[in-house]
Amino acid sequence: MTMTKRWKTALSALAVSAGMAAGTAQAGEVKIWTLTFDNNSANIAWDKTIKEFEAANPGITVTREGRSVDEHKAALRVAAQSSQGPDIYFMWAGLGLGGEFVKAGLSKPLDAYYTQYDWDKRIVGTAGSFSKLYPGGRHGVPYTFHGEAIYYNKALFQKAGITELPKSYDELKAVAAKLKEAGITPMTFGGTVNWHLMRLMDVILEAKCGAEKHDQLMDMKLDWGTEACATASFEELADWSQNYILKPFMGIDNSQSFNLFLANRAAMMVEGDWLVGQLSDAKKIDNFDLFPVPTGTDRLYGFAEYLYVSSKSANPDDAAKFLDYLLSDKVQQENLGAFGSISVNSNVKYANISALDQKWLDIFGKYTKIYVNGDQAFPLDVTTEYWRVINEVASGNLKGAEAGKTLQTFISNRG
Amino acid sequence: MPQASQSARPERQGYVLLAPALIVYLLFAVYPMIDVIRMSFSSWNGLSPEARFVGLANYRAIVTQDPVFWGALRNTIWWTALAVILPNLISFGLALALNQNIPGKSSLRVVFYLPVIIASIAVATIWKWMYDPFFGLFNNLLMQMGLDGWILDWLGDRKVALWSVFVAHVWQSVGFSMVLFLAGLQGVSATLVEAARIDGAGRWGVFRYVTLPALKPTMMVVFVLSLINSLKAFDIVYGMTGGGPAQSTQMLAMWAYTQSMQLGVFGRGAAVSVVLLLITLVIVLPYIRWMFRREEMAR
Repeated sequence: MTMTKRWKTALSALAVSAGMAAGTAQAGEVKIWTLTFDNNSANIAWDKTIKEFEAANPGITVTREGRSVDEHKAALRVAAQSSQGPDIYFMWAGLGLGGEFVKAGLSKPLDAYYTQYDWDKRIVGTAGSFSKLYPGGRHGVPYTFHGEAIYYNKALFQKAGITELPKSYDELKAVAAKLKEAGITPMTFGGTVNWHLMRLMDVILEAKCGAEKHDQLMDMKLDWGTEACATASFEELADWSQNYILKPFMGIDNSQSFNLFLANRAAMMVEGDWLVGQLSDAKKIDNFDLFPVPTGTDRLYGFAEYLYVSSKSANPDDAAKFLDYLLSDKVQQENLGAFGSISVNSNVKYANISALDQKWLDIFGKYTKIYVNGDQAFPLDVTTEYWRVINEVASGNLKGAEAGKTLQTFISNRG
Repeated sequence: MPQASQSARPERQGYVLLAPALIVYLLFAVYPMIDVIRMSFSSWNGLSPEARFVGLANYRAIVTQDPVFWGALRNTIWWTALAVILPNLISFGLALALNQNIPGKSSLRVVFYLPVIIASIAVATIWKWMYDPFFGLFNNLLMQMGLDGWILDWLGDRKVALWSVFVAHVWQSVGFSMVLFLAGLQGVSATLVEAARIDGAGRWGVFRYVTLPALKPTMMVVFVLSLINSLKAFDIVYGMTGGGPAQSTQMLAMWAYTQSMQLGVFGRGAAVSVVLLLITLVIVLPYIRWMFRREEMAR
């Protein structure tokens, strides 16, 4: 063989093997991209579920790649330009984060699979409702569903003489005032992670604007600069920050805030259902209780995490088959607590659960409508500005009336 | 073999040896740089298949509509101005001290150099804990000394947050310049120092008329390196404040990253990067010219 021939042969072999390695997903192969879950039991549950699915479905291979949040988002953007992306990907529900990918045409509508597998019969209604938010069909299936409420320190409430839980926003403010009078800091937040303090603004908006106006503001259909309830909400936020939040809070994060809450330094905290596990781990679950944020709108504050089928998937049928297995009564029952404290499957039975978990189940059973976190509702750039404005108001650098105008200017400039 | 081809061979070999490095440089430095400039004239969210040409719209937007850009530019200039002065003055003082025959000078050199080898993100974590308003070292020390009024939200108060991060940067960076100054001091001619002393120069005279002039090239190198590193300031700020509170510690490099990689507004992120590149070039080009001139003079 001459030198040139040898080169040609070697290059051809290299090209063939590279093509095989980089080619699109093979028949029967389902690639899943998720986060690397902090909760290791979720990672274990995923591995176990995949193994069982593969055993029950010979010919289908499932692989899962986990990444940190920012890496995951970046990887999905890169994959959007190639055929090397996943068949199924994790993303939050709502018009913000999840909606961006749906809008870009990277999610496959799943209407046919919803009918084929009758998913609506077993998916918790509120969790599944996010799939209907998008134009052009239903997108994604719920992976987890979370509610957020006010956790409170029972002993501190008792010390302040609070015997009844607040049923309206005004009563909540009265409770905060009573706690302050008793020398107890009413609420704790961590300001470095912008989304933590944002929760307070979200619930104030729900209380001050009502469901319809709140949604319109988040959809950017109402003017933040002229809408009176938006200004009032920012003023309320300033009032909470100046009078009722444990200071200093702008330099601490959510976990430091939680530690202060555990150490009885503040009486209340707006947190999700996942906090039950953390309180249990800290062996202080009996010291705390919770109640939904009394906004007067009969909507629960919460969000969902979804699994979407990529529009570029070569094997959408296999991907849907896997999702069907993941959502099945068996898998959800066996892995209860691993994916989330509350299952997205309505047939799952709960036994021997803590009082707080039971309370969450009751709350999920009671509410049929939800409003989502600001960062799930807004597009990413608006979220960043929303956070900046909230932080400025909370730090006392921006007045309520100016805050709405500042946010609206940013929204208007987007065109 | 003809003599001409014999003399040409080493040159050709030089190019062959240079080629891999040149290819890597062109591919991973020059091409991305050109691509960022191209991107700065486009609108792209990282998801749609193609970027749309928008002319100067991104530049107009960052200058007239971006509520963070000017603050980030101000912070970058502030940071750079201080970073080329304060840490280097401290480094110079340390180098002068550790160039004397004092006991334990080798260990002290290691101690002062140690922060340089710690990853910036680890430095950020260490200082973040020391600045913790409730459990951190500084506030607890102040409390124990009865200085409760001095207690601050070091990273949460916009009036002090950037200063707090800067102190951590100083702690991390003085060792590097100190080593450069020490190397420069070792190069000061002992004969000249001796001659100056024989001529009656005192300590200050030797320092002013012998040591300082001899350190001029080192000072230039330290100045330019500090300048370039300061303009690129990212990791320590990202690790300590993430640009907060309310974007008040945001820097141009980090804002470019945030726009592109976190918000998916690649065109605007690229425009911010190009502004930073231009600022860097304006400062660095005179340095490169000076370097070339020096080399020519040395020949």
